[in-house]
Amino acid sequence: MGIKFEQVNYAYRGPDGQKYLALANINLPIGETGEFITLIGETGSGKTTLVQHMNALLVPDTGSVTVLGVKVTKEAVAKKRIKLNPIRKKVGLVFQFPEYQLFEETVLKDIIFGPKNFGVPEAEAKALAHELIKVVGLDESYLSRSPFNLSGGEKKRVSIAGILAMEPDILILDEPTSGLDPMGRDELLTVFNRIHTTLNKTIILITHDMNTVYRYAKRALVMRSGYLVYDGDPQALFSRKNIENWNLETPDLLALQQLISSELGFKFPHTAKTEEDLLTMLEAVIA
Amino acid sequence: MKNIVIGRFIPGSSFLYKMDPRTKIIVLILLMVSAFLVRSLSLIAFGLMLLMVVLIVGRISVKRVLLGLRPLMFLLIFTFSFQIFFNTAGELVFTTTLAYSPGGLGVVVLLWFFWWFTRRRIPFKLLYFLVVLIASGTLLSLFSYGPIFTTSTIEVYSQGLEMALFIMLRLVIIVTLSTILTLTTKPTDLNLGLEAVLKPFKLIRVNTEEMAMIISISLRYIPTLLDEANKIILAQASRGVDFSEGKLKEKLMQIVSLLVPMFIISFKRSDELASAMEARSFVPGRPRTRLHQLTWRPMDTVALCFGLIILSTVIVLRVIGW
Repeated sequence: MGIKFEQVNYAYRGPDGQKYLALANINLPIGETGEFITLIGETGSGKTTLVQHMNALLVPDTGSVTVLGVKVTKEAVAKKRIKLNPIRKKVGLVFQFPEYQLFEETVLKDIIFGPKNFGVPEAEAKALAHELIKVVGLDESYLSRSPFNLSGGEKKRVSIAGILAMEPDILILDEPTSGLDPMGRDELLTVFNRIHTTLNKTIILITHDMNTVYRYAKRALVMRSGYLVYDGDPQALFSRKNIENWNLETPDLLALQQLISSELGFKFPHTAKTEEDLLTMLEAVIA
Repeated sequence: MKNIVIGRFIPGSSFLYKMDPRTKIIVLILLMVSAFLVRSLSLIAFGLMLLMVVLIVGRISVKRVLLGLRPLMFLLIFTFSFQIFFNTAGELVFTTTLAYSPGGLGVVVLLWFFWWFTRRRIPFKLLYFLVVLIASGTLLSLFSYGPIFTTSTIEVYSQGLEMALFIMLRLVIIVTLSTILTLTTKPTDLNLGLEAVLKPFKLIRVNTEEMAMIISISLRYIPTLLDEANKIILAQASRGVDFSEGKLKEKLMQIVSLLVPMFIISFKRSDELASAMEARSFVPGRPRTRLHQLTWRPMDTVALCFGLIILSTVIVLRVIGW
């Protein structure tokens, strides 16, 4: 088992000690390999809090999170019975805003900062950085540039490379495509999908984009004011009635197919998940 | 990081809360000057009693004020012991001889070992330290076993005792006064008051409005920046920075990894804030209207008179040699 939440509750504390419930009774198993999970929900529903529990940045108030065999509880952390750093190496978390993590003089130094903290030799980390900068869609000339002179999208890519360089077993991305143009978004999603398919790594992705969920996810989680209200197949999620109540909308491709079915009375043999799939079906009809 | 509270305004409804911030600042200055002009112990003790009455009538919890004194504890104790041990004017009131013998020193060392292992469990650490310090002094003066290596005498003189008490009371009064101001005045009101009080400096071309604006924006952004700092700490922690441990070199790296994003974000924020203010027609130095107007009430006149009376009494008493 990769990550397992058991009856996790977590509350943020205000300045006067009042509590704001962020996670309520979360029970969630996540596989060590082979999962592609999207986490959706409106802003303030607890998505970020949930993923920050997955690499022990936050520790549950009650209940436990077991990450790759290490059981994280409040007591265990308070008494320093467990080491948290190995967990953070194995579960890589990319934050939503790259500004919070970039600080070195050059992009290269920033990318190798993580691996160096985990004891990877510098030469090895540098070789990895040269490789990863291309993986995230930039070229090697960026390595010598200052991370502060980059555009928002470029910063985002560098911050992702910085986490990939840690070679985590499980990769978590908090809204990795926000602030990117459509081309850049598709490009990065392809990268994540490739990491997932070639290395069979578990990927957890927070997103507001239903098309991403529909196209890539094997499993969808929906959060609503601290509760996990849906855990299952994305196809089944979008065929539910009243998903608007959860502030979700039908993905474009699915909406198009539903429109064709209802307006033209055409019955699709199966629901297409990609444009190519839909095209083949339509071509068959035309032919 | 989470325990920093600036301003420490505690909502309440007594007359101290209803007073105009300008009055509070002016009266505070008058009373502080008075406290510095007073020269006798009895007068300063009377002043403290007066202040206690103000606290009780103003319904301010003494516990809060004592908490405000806590950061000054070290200074208080230092000046107190300095005066007691080194001021040798007046009559000798107390003397004792400390004898250093193997037995006595052994017991004292044991006592400090005991202190070292139990200090974490005791809530009043400084008090506990003092008790152990005095206990070891008493032990050395009363108990000796084996050959005595050397002796030393402790002498306390009346003037030293008096001065020690006097300086301590004066410090307590001054800190209590400023604590009352911050406890009962909202940061925004405090800022408005400061701006009004500083107005005369405009005559010598100091831009008081801008200064007040800078102060209020800084106060406003402290919680925001703390919040950002927490986020950066989390982001770096997920790249293997362990802020709770590490050697000196690693510690430096950790601080850099926190400070650089912090500066970048602050600069960006201030740039954005400046644009937002300009977009709403803010021009530095131009007169502005206010949402909250300060109002002067009869009670403020009374308070101001109170402050003036105290100051003039103190001056008169000083002139006639009290």
